Amino acid sequence: MSQAHRDTLYVEDARILAREAFDGDQVILRLHAPQMAARARPGQFAHIQCDSCLPLRRPISIMRVDAKAGWADFLFKVVGEGTRRLAERRVDERLSLIAPIGQPFTYQLQHRRPLLIGGGVGMPPMIFLAEEMHAVTGAYEPLVILGSEVPFPFQSRPSQLLVPGLPEGVIAAMPLLDDWRVASRLASLQGYPGTYEGYVTDLARAWLDGLDAAARKEVAVFACGPHPMLEAVAALAEEYHLPCQVSLEEFMACGVGGCAGCVVPVETPRGPAMQRVCVDGPVFDARSVFPPA
Amino acid sequence: MVHKLEREMLASEFCGMRFDTPLVLLSGCVGFGEEYTRVSGFSNRDAGAVCLKGTTLEPRLGNPPHRVCETPQGMINAIGLQNPGARYVVDEILPTLDFDETRFIANISGSTVEEYAEVARIFDDSPIDAMEINISCPNVKEGGVAFGNDPEMSARVVEAVRAQTEKPLITKLSPNQTDIQENARRCIEAGSDAFAVINTLMGMAIDVESRTPIIGNNQGGLSGPAIKPVALLKTHQVYQVCREHGIPIIGQGGVTTAEDALEFLIAGASAVGVGTALFYDPLVCEKINAGIAAYLERHALNEMAQLVGSLVPND
Repeated sequence: MSQAHRDTLYVEDARILAREAFDGDQVILRLHAPQMAARARPGQFAHIQCDSCLPLRRPISIMRVDAKAGWADFLFKVVGEGTRRLAERRVDERLSLIAPIGQPFTYQLQHRRPLLIGGGVGMPPMIFLAEEMHAVTGAYEPLVILGSEVPFPFQSRPSQLLVPGLPEGVIAAMPLLDDWRVASRLASLQGYPGTYEGYVTDLARAWLDGLDAAARKEVAVFACGPHPMLEAVAALAEEYHLPCQVSLEEFMACGVGGCAGCVVPVETPRGPAMQRVCVDGPVFDARSVFPPA
Repeated sequence: MVHKLEREMLASEFCGMRFDTPLVLLSGCVGFGEEYTRVSGFSNRDAGAVCLKGTTLEPRLGNPPHRVCETPQGMINAIGLQNPGARYVVDEILPTLDFDETRFIANISGSTVEEYAEVARIFDDSPIDAMEINISCPNVKEGGVAFGNDPEMSARVVEAVRAQTEKPLITKLSPNQTDIQENARRCIEAGSDAFAVINTLMGMAIDVESRTPIIGNNQGGLSGPAIKPVALLKTHQVYQVCREHGIPIIGQGGVTTAEDALEFLIAGASAVGVGTALFYDPLVCEKINAGIAAYLERHALNEMAQLVGSLVPND
């Protein structure tokens, strides 16, 4: 009898170590949650109790962890009652969380030029993935493209890293990624300085077009963000014959696979299915979510 | 985990089954019995029984998203009985369960009386400990609550299932009906051994910007603390009918704390269902168990049975 899944999630009362607020109702919380920090992988999330008077938790994706120090960072945007109350929590308060939940992104060395695309609150898993790919493994050269229609939750700066093929003047980068020597570029329709004025997929296309055929074969795409963005990313990956994984979100109740409340329709080799975002996802192969015509 | 002393106090017999604790994990909340064991510290042993996800004869994909949404002190769900079909459950899932941990109860559903009977026949030839007849699912177009709100149809379903099995039969009653007592009476006559009271209340939530229902199925079933007072009253009403027949009740609806569970026991339930509360706190069962045991000790009661139906009504 296989019970390999048992005892893989931890309930922790995590103390808020730091809290930083940004324009656009965005907040980053650093939580002390050593059990999950020791095990979390990019793409996974925590199911967080935002307030004791709300009956349901909220799934929030993990942006960074430090296994040694035992902390994890979460970036979220206020979109409703749960995140509004979460944004009101202060340093030294405790939050109950269940984590780390879900299937992480998977990657292989044959695709050593990963393209990571994060839109809005879809940025955190891309930052986690970039850190793991580059800093931990060292064998990858990721390009991270981040998109936002509210001010980015960091002070961007001109990148120290050259990325061939991009339109002139698109030089704004996320400092954290730049410090890790991971190339990043930003996209927005809001005309922020150094930022590509357009969609993340258009910037991605420009980069892909600048690669020769051999280099393009080394690209795999990873994305998290609003559904229309994911659909556009999946179509782009399909057009360039690139493997693509997307991370999804859906209203969620239990977060551990028990209630089937958070399903999304997917295509499987055995036909259509409804799969749970919490434990079957949140990372899915793009083709199963957006089947090519 | 339940401590030894607690275990002795909390154990009971339910339809001939030994329940190690009075708690029953409710159908639809814990998948097919293994999902919550992902959580470190969670154990099926903290529950007297675990009700598996509603199962139909053929596989069902269930309803489109959104299937759940939060409401004041509760939530609405419309899963739509997503399940892989009775044959798959019996052949592929039951062998993966550890029947030493707890009692596993199948939840059988259908669109026709014949389908209920066929699902019961398949589970009868399995190690499942008991069957819960789901005549109260509000989220499917046929069967479910359409049967459960009509005492005559409820009785026909129970009778058809009874003919297929000697295993304990628990009928899950709907709160969405005029006279739950009449329904209970008819189901007892038809051969029900026990009741689960209540299933969810039918409800709706609307996104005012788009003017569309939030739930993909438009409507769904309301659960959580919001429905506890309704569930308590229904449990007490059904207890009035069951008492003389010695028929036990699983009282359920919004149980979150030991005090909630005690209320249901006092109202007449012999066991208490826990569902939505798990979403809030997956480790809630051991806390409820400890709270019930502490209450029994404080009131110098040797066993829970002394508490069941001990309500002292006002004059």
